[in-house]
Amino acid sequence: MNQSELLLKHLPNDIGGLPAEGFERVDHPLEPWEKRCHALADVLDFHKLINTEEKRRGVEALGSEMIGKLSYYQRWIAAFVHILFEKGILTPDQLARKMTEVEARFQSDGEP
Amino acid sequence: MSTAHHDDDDHDHDHTPITNSETPPSYYEIMETAVRELLIERQLLTAGEIRRQIEVLDSRTPALGAKIVARAWLDPEFRERLLANGRTACEEEGITFYDDTQLIVVENTDTVHNLLVCTLCSCYPRPVLGLPPDWYKLKPYRARAVREPRALLAEFGTVIPDDVEIRVSDSTAAVRYLVLPKRPSGTEDFDEEQLAALVTRDSMIGVVPVTLPSAGGQP
Repeated sequence: MNQSELLLKHLPNDIGGLPAEGFERVDHPLEPWEKRCHALADVLDFHKLINTEEKRRGVEALGSEMIGKLSYYQRWIAAFVHILFEKGILTPDQLARKMTEVEARFQSDGEP
Repeated sequence: MSTAHHDDDDHDHDHTPITNSETPPSYYEIMETAVRELLIERQLLTAGEIRRQIEVLDSRTPALGAKIVARAWLDPEFRERLLANGRTACEEEGITFYDDTQLIVVENTDTVHNLLVCTLCSCYPRPVLGLPPDWYKLKPYRARAVREPRALLAEFGTVIPDDVEIRVSDSTAAVRYLVLPKRPSGTEDFDEEQLAALVTRDSMIGVVPVTLPSAGGQP
């Protein structure tokens, strides 16, 4: 199979059976924001705003370069943002303004 | 093959803590907070729902799965119901399924060893085991589990004899699995609580057997 055929047959998430070496039994306790991100994912699913399969596809749509660079919950929040933009639920402008506000709030009172 | 370690040092700017106990939020933490607050402002979800779901996540640990396994070892009729429909048998024991998934329980025997994976992402029986460990979500495990399960299991110190079939179950968004491990010998007099104490998270993923503490963690 040539390189393009391999890419066509295996989307970024579809790694079952691909050659892989090594294995490390790594784990870490979730950071508070990671746990909030997980809870957000579940609540988005409860309300049918973003279901589990949409989330998985949203992560896949980030592309292999970003998937490789982001940690697990960084991928989730990035995927949620893209999906919420696509669905017209949020706009990039609203998010940018809110992120500026949240960051400023943290700097002034130490709370995110 | 690189392992995608969780890494807080991948920002392009300096994050020197203000104090030893306080670290400024990362770009992604700010994004998470902003998205959550915007959705709350739009009344698409509430802060209470997020809080309650965090409590639900905190309440789910492998102890729930361990209790189910111990119960199945002691009660043949429960075992039958569990193997017939994992979800309803767990619900019978008071475990709620908050994520709208089905549960298939696969039983290890003298001739079959089961291993769980999610090759596409990180699907996992969260209602009964809590959240998956990082290694379960990373490429080496997901890629190798379906290609060379015996070699992968050996890296956990689990050597499956060649005459034992290995069945790998690949989880999906809608269907999750749980391994019912083999009950170790020497536990004939154990009660449910004593048995449950032996059952680890990893034994219910299928990467290690359940062993007695005196066996030093080896099969």
